[in-house]
Amino acid sequence: MSAVIRMGTRGGRPSTSLLTGVYQPRGTTPTNRRRTQSLVRIGVVAAVLFFLALYVFARGGGDGSSSSSSSSVLSIFSLGLLSSGGADFELETVRYHDLSNVQGTARGWEREERILVCVPLRDAEAHLSMFFSHLKNLTYPHNLLDLAFLVSDSKDNTMGVLVKNLEDIQAAEEEEMHFGEISIIEKDFGQVVNQDVESRHGFAAQAGRRKLMARARNWLLTAALRPYHSWVYWRDVDVETAPFTILEDLMRHNKDVIVPNVWRPLPEWLGGEQPYDLNSWQESDTALTLADTLDEDAVIVEGYAEYATYRPHLAYLRDPYGDPDVEMELDGVGGVSILAKAKVFRYGVHFPAFSFEKHAETEGFGKMARKMDLSVIGLPHYTIWHAYEPSVDDIKHMEQMKREQLAQEEAEKEKAEKAKKLKESFGDATGQWERDKVEMQNIVTQEKKKEAAAAAAAANDKAGSDAPGGKVVEKVVAR
Amino acid sequence: MARPMGSVRLKKTSPATLAVGAALCIFILYFLIGSSTPDFSASRKATAASHPLSPPTSPFRKSTGNGKLKPPPVAHYDLNNVTTTPKPLENRENVLVLTPMARFYQGYWDNILELQYPHELITLGFILPKTKEGNDATRELQNRITKTQKYGPEKDRFKSIIILREDIDPPLVSQDEKERHKMQNQKARRAAMAKARNSLLFSTLGPATSWILWLDADVVETPPTIIQDLAQHDQAIMAPNCFQRFWNEEKKEMDERPYDFNNWQDSPTALDMAKKMDPDDILLEGYAEMATFRTLMAYMTNDGGRLHEEMPLDGVGGAALLVKADVHRDGAMFPPFAFYNLIETEGFAKMSKRLGWQPFGLPNYKVYHYNE
Repeated sequence: MSAVIRMGTRGGRPSTSLLTGVYQPRGTTPTNRRRTQSLVRIGVVAAVLFFLALYVFARGGGDGSSSSSSSSVLSIFSLGLLSSGGADFELETVRYHDLSNVQGTARGWEREERILVCVPLRDAEAHLSMFFSHLKNLTYPHNLLDLAFLVSDSKDNTMGVLVKNLEDIQAAEEEEMHFGEISIIEKDFGQVVNQDVESRHGFAAQAGRRKLMARARNWLLTAALRPYHSWVYWRDVDVETAPFTILEDLMRHNKDVIVPNVWRPLPEWLGGEQPYDLNSWQESDTALTLADTLDEDAVIVEGYAEYATYRPHLAYLRDPYGDPDVEMELDGVGGVSILAKAKVFRYGVHFPAFSFEKHAETEGFGKMARKMDLSVIGLPHYTIWHAYEPSVDDIKHMEQMKREQLAQEEAEKEKAEKAKKLKESFGDATGQWERDKVEMQNIVTQEKKKEAAAAAAAANDKAGSDAPGGKVVEKVVAR
Repeated sequence: MARPMGSVRLKKTSPATLAVGAALCIFILYFLIGSSTPDFSASRKATAASHPLSPPTSPFRKSTGNGKLKPPPVAHYDLNNVTTTPKPLENRENVLVLTPMARFYQGYWDNILELQYPHELITLGFILPKTKEGNDATRELQNRITKTQKYGPEKDRFKSIIILREDIDPPLVSQDEKERHKMQNQKARRAAMAKARNSLLFSTLGPATSWILWLDADVVETPPTIIQDLAQHDQAIMAPNCFQRFWNEEKKEMDERPYDFNNWQDSPTALDMAKKMDPDDILLEGYAEMATFRTLMAYMTNDGGRLHEEMPLDGVGGAALLVKADVHRDGAMFPPFAFYNLIETEGFAKMSKRLGWQPFGLPNYKVYHYNE
């Protein structure tokens, strides 16, 4: 056959076999056509191989730049229109975290330990500007601070003000002002009690209120805690004065849970200052005995005559000149400013929204942490100051004081008016006196006798309406 | 055939040019595909977080490596809009599947892959101990995950996956079934287990989750519709019955037996025992030396019974458990200490009840535990 082909091809044109002399179907093709045909064949094979490779590549092997064939082919035919805006980045779906790297240490800022700052908010618009000034002044590296806010059942513009402030900070030119992750959680729990000071602090409302607050705190934490957090800092929005270094100051103690002392400034007539947070305390035998007598769902709340617990309170142990590093073991804590290691919350300690050993919310939190053998510490001589919100009694007292003050002011005003009047009339006279004196001196020097009478008449005319003035003039004339 | 004209025509069309053109086309296609690399569909990308500092229940944009990262945005999550309904599929509710894992079982992974719930709504969370066994399991798990998330078809890929390593010193007990179930080892073991569960839960829950499916790594047989099946009851906590398959020597055939005894209804005996106990001691189920006379769901199964028959429970096990996220958000966790003389999953049931959530079980709906 090969000879046949060779002979046939040598002819340069299609022909029948010369050997047989009989017509045969063409067994071969001309050189140029054969060459092109083999080229086409190679091309087709290459294409098939390529698509096969592409398919295998996308399915099983290859690197990260390869992709699911169906979606990429789709994107080609749609000219990228279907996946508009989606094609310029890749997704990471897998996260790996070793929790032993986020245990929290005494000098966390050196190890880039992240703190989750949790702030529960409800109708807090009025306090936000103060809060943000504190936040911006924190000395802990801002990029290591993740902020989480819970806005619940708010009727004022808490949300609007909050978002505006946060967006301004993240858009600030100074890079060191930018915070880390910022989450605003919105959840309404249905308010059972009013938020005004009196109903908020009334004894009867406490158990329900504390349980509700506890739920809110738990919702905030569970939505915001991430595997990369080493610390969690709870901060109330209405703290008026606190050191900018508070995070480092508390962290240096390297405790599982730590709280500062919380006082509040008072008007002078109330003594100038007062312990504020009575929820930080040590357990007492009296309280434990009391707890045993109470119903399963009862909640002991501190600072009310109804439950006399005789517990040592962090607040009352404050010495303004004491060493701020002095520590005190606690069983219950207040929620104004809590720094806790994130592992405390990971292990399951939370704010009980039920009666846990007769306590709820932050006090139950302290109790639960102790139950898990974690350290709970308070600093009696390291004080931050809560904003002063007058109670109803205070307000009444203040109104009384205001009335007294107003009455006093009124009296003073009257007095002042009188004095002014007196002074006015007297002042007029003195002015007149001076003028007259000058005038008269002139007159005296120029035309001593003859015009003295005329001048006296003119002065009389001027001061005529004013009796004392008139008298003075007369005196002058007499002189 | 038009042979006389053949060569002329061939010259005109020139197959060589055709081949070159085809090759060119291929190259153009290659660069089109190679440069765009859309690894996920647009709808998935739209729900992704723009920054790595974000809830782990969502994927995030990979940093491109050029230029500095922008500061994270102010993210807003309205939890009033996160629903938990009996129709999770229709309402496209996010499910978080949580698994504490000491060993890797292929059966478990196969079940996860076969879940007939949209995978783009499922986030998987794992926590593994930092022991040699844990390292091996992590490696195996990561291999499977890479296979699915990177090279698998998009519909198989999960929304996101979180792998955590424990920071808890493991109690000095081996994972052998015999050693593990010794009574005196139970409190320490279950306290460590509870801490692991809590760590996993509170690090991953995030703001978008509607349901949490607790599924132990040694549960190797689960119905693919387990999420919908358990959710349709609209209960706060729903536990299926956990059984184990074994070779029955007497019958000479494969048989099944009850495995998880932590799903129970309380008995007066047990409550009395608890009263007399020290508050730090725990009551355990399934031990002859501590007969509690509780009603165990494991024995309540009825082969001819209705699959979806419910029963209220006072204690639950963790082998498989579907929980509304709100229950955990309210604070219900797995106590690593004696809570009403109960610990871990049983303590969780009690704490949920204290918060006003009633657990339920399905005695006839079965999942199967691995047999060692």
